[in-house]
Amino acid sequence: MREVLVDVLLTMSWAVLGYTLLLDLVMLALVLAGARRVSASRRWDGSEGHEEIFASPLTSGVSVLIPAHDEEAGILDTLAAVLAQRYPVLEVVLVDDGSTDRTFDKVAERFGLVQVTARPTASLRVDGTVLSVHRATTGDPLTVVRKTSVGRRSDALNAALNVARHPLVCMVDADSLLEPGALVQVARPFVEDPANVVASGGVIRAANGARVARGSVLEPRLSSRWVVRFQVVEYLRSFLLGRTGWADANALLIISGAFGLFRRDLVVEVGGLDALSLAEDAELVVTLQEHLRQQRRPHRVVFVPEPVCWTEVPETLAVLGRQRRRWSHGLAQLLWKHRRMIGNPRFGPVGLLALPFFLLFELLGPVVEVVGLLCVVLAAFLGLLDTGTALVMFGLALGLGTLLSTAAVAVEEFSYHRYARGREVGVLLLAGLLENVGYRQLHAWFRLRGLVAALMRRTPVWTAMPRTGFTEAEPVPVS
Amino acid sequence: MSSLAAPAAVATAVLGVLVVVLLVAVAAVHTTRARRLAAAQGSRAGLMALVHDLLDDGDDEAVVAAPRDLDEVLLHLLPQLRGADREAIQTALTRRGVVARAAADLDARAAWRRGRAATLLGSTAGRDHLARLTALLADRSLEVRCAAARALGRVGDPAAVHGLLASLTTARPLPAGVVGMAVLDLGTAVLPALRATLVTGSPAARALSADVVGVHGDLAATSALVDLLTDARQPEDVRRAAATALARIGDPAATDPLARVLLDAALPPLQRAAAEALGRIGDPAGAPALLAGLTCPAREVAAACDDALVALGPEGAAVLADAAGRGGPLGTAAAATLDATSQPGRLVGV
Repeated sequence: MREVLVDVLLTMSWAVLGYTLLLDLVMLALVLAGARRVSASRRWDGSEGHEEIFASPLTSGVSVLIPAHDEEAGILDTLAAVLAQRYPVLEVVLVDDGSTDRTFDKVAERFGLVQVTARPTASLRVDGTVLSVHRATTGDPLTVVRKTSVGRRSDALNAALNVARHPLVCMVDADSLLEPGALVQVARPFVEDPANVVASGGVIRAANGARVARGSVLEPRLSSRWVVRFQVVEYLRSFLLGRTGWADANALLIISGAFGLFRRDLVVEVGGLDALSLAEDAELVVTLQEHLRQQRRPHRVVFVPEPVCWTEVPETLAVLGRQRRRWSHGLAQLLWKHRRMIGNPRFGPVGLLALPFFLLFELLGPVVEVVGLLCVVLAAFLGLLDTGTALVMFGLALGLGTLLSTAAVAVEEFSYHRYARGREVGVLLLAGLLENVGYRQLHAWFRLRGLVAALMRRTPVWTAMPRTGFTEAEPVPVS
Repeated sequence: MSSLAAPAAVATAVLGVLVVVLLVAVAAVHTTRARRLAAAQGSRAGLMALVHDLLDDGDDEAVVAAPRDLDEVLLHLLPQLRGADREAIQTALTRRGVVARAAADLDARAAWRRGRAATLLGSTAGRDHLARLTALLADRSLEVRCAAARALGRVGDPAAVHGLLASLTTARPLPAGVVGMAVLDLGTAVLPALRATLVTGSPAARALSADVVGVHGDLAATSALVDLLTDARQPEDVRRAAATALARIGDPAATDPLARVLLDAALPPLQRAAAEALGRIGDPAGAPALLAGLTCPAREVAAACDDALVALGPEGAAVLADAAGRGGPLGTAAAATLDATSQPGRLVGV
């Protein structure tokens, strides 16, 4: 019996080791590919032609869609940032999704809203009841839809899509701040290649701790909370470099819900956002790719590493846990719904590379991590654990994780250097080391719980994140 | 597993060294940048004084002899200037050898060097390098091809239009949006070539030419655009581009063909473009077709007809009132539009 157990343990240990090495190598390749791309785009930013796009009469109009539920803390900042976009043709559609706080009152007061008659441009299914539609009287191109909440962001976005007028729709979270040139940069691929580009996403960065005034990030600063600092490193590694790498392989699956631009006609054509999905942003991208690939229509999903959207990230482990469980649950839903695409060459790099990666490493990763830890405990219990070897393996895992994070911070410093103070760069590097002990394991636990919830077919629930609002900059005294 | 301990330890040590190298590099880059920024701030005032002397007094000797940092200042200023000031900067860049270096970089191995050189030549070099920039439209790098197209637009020589239109359908095609903006930059001198392309060009070139003649409001292109619009054998995007162009031109001669397309095409995006065009042209003769379009099953078409009828003003309102009085599905739709129009605060687009 013991021999069988030892054999099983050994086999599992080898499998976990091989899995971990493969995952880290793939991540390293993605980070390096992303770093190469980011460096090239930074060296040559003068040729990007943003001025021409801003001035061109051929630039398509954009409807910015903002779903908001209990967002009184930061909604005016978010609207100020969107309305200040340097973009030629723009409208903003804010959906007050059953807020119980003063979200609507604040917007109504600031923009002098008046009720108008809605005239839909699409008839996507909306489960909540649309109560009224309002328009700003301040001259701002702002429409506000009030509806009852059914607890799903996708429902609010579908309500917004039903009144959006422009050929492109940009989905922005209500706790996010766009930099003034963000929209024109993320729209550039649509203007330059209108026949092929169907979706485009930009970079998301953590706004917690940054100095903000009237919707503008004056000075990016790191939060004093380590849980936020770990997420800053994670966003650099996965969202900036990882997505740049995937986009280069023409296999981008996720455009963040916090900031993504889509062709409106195609989003309407596929029936809008999936009402039941917890990862509606990724779900929309995969649905578009599946739909267009099946119809053999040209399509490109693009990631632009320059435009920046600043967003609030969770400041406590409890909120982070809820968010990551939801992401993992949503990923499981997505992979199950599109299971016939996985490994299917008909769907190109998305089917052959991205979906298998997300299944093996993103969804099942926490399972392997937990199995690995159990193997260590079991080996110790059976007296099989060689402490020296275990420490070396732990050091190897720590080294790989730290190298990935350090590389991501290094690319940030070489290319964007958003954090001007040396101390903050140092703290980021330290976070890249410390996240491997404790945070990473906790993160795996949150994801595992999301996977279990999906397997048990629990009803998807969208939980709103508590908002703290942005850190207003102190006014500078006039001397 | 213990057999792996030694190689794992070596790998860990290598990883450790790589991490340390990266840390040192980050620290070095951060410190160097801080020093360079401080130094640049100090020298920038002096360099700007040189530029002001150049622009005010035409004193370019000092500019020619100035350190290399001045190149970045001049290149940054160039797109913001026009007329004599721009020419002065261009001349200074040429005399400092920046243009010659860029011309040499057109053959560089690195794509970003070729692209940056094309961009620079587009801003500074006039028509001297037109042929080389046109050749770059077939570059192996898409970004370089785009940079070359933009540069040709900035140079502004109408002769570039043929190369630009041809680049839409080569083995390494350029995106239509990039070519469209470049052709727009070439101005109205290329309109005859674009009108000819509407008849003889490839589908991609026809759609792009339709867009550009529309933006220029070229009345002489109306007839060719109507032919494209009403020819059911044309690709849908060409017909849609023609409808949009006719809207921009605003010639009432297009009202009847647009109305026919709205009623008969059975292609919602094209019908929507036709409805929008009828509203923009504002000819009351389009009202009956727009009224019929209110009951179109495609929601986007009905909404566009609704908008267009409102845009027709009193004539549109009269047609709606007449239809509302007659009842039926059309009357109901017309009454709803009238009802919405009469409400205070109702705005187009909501």
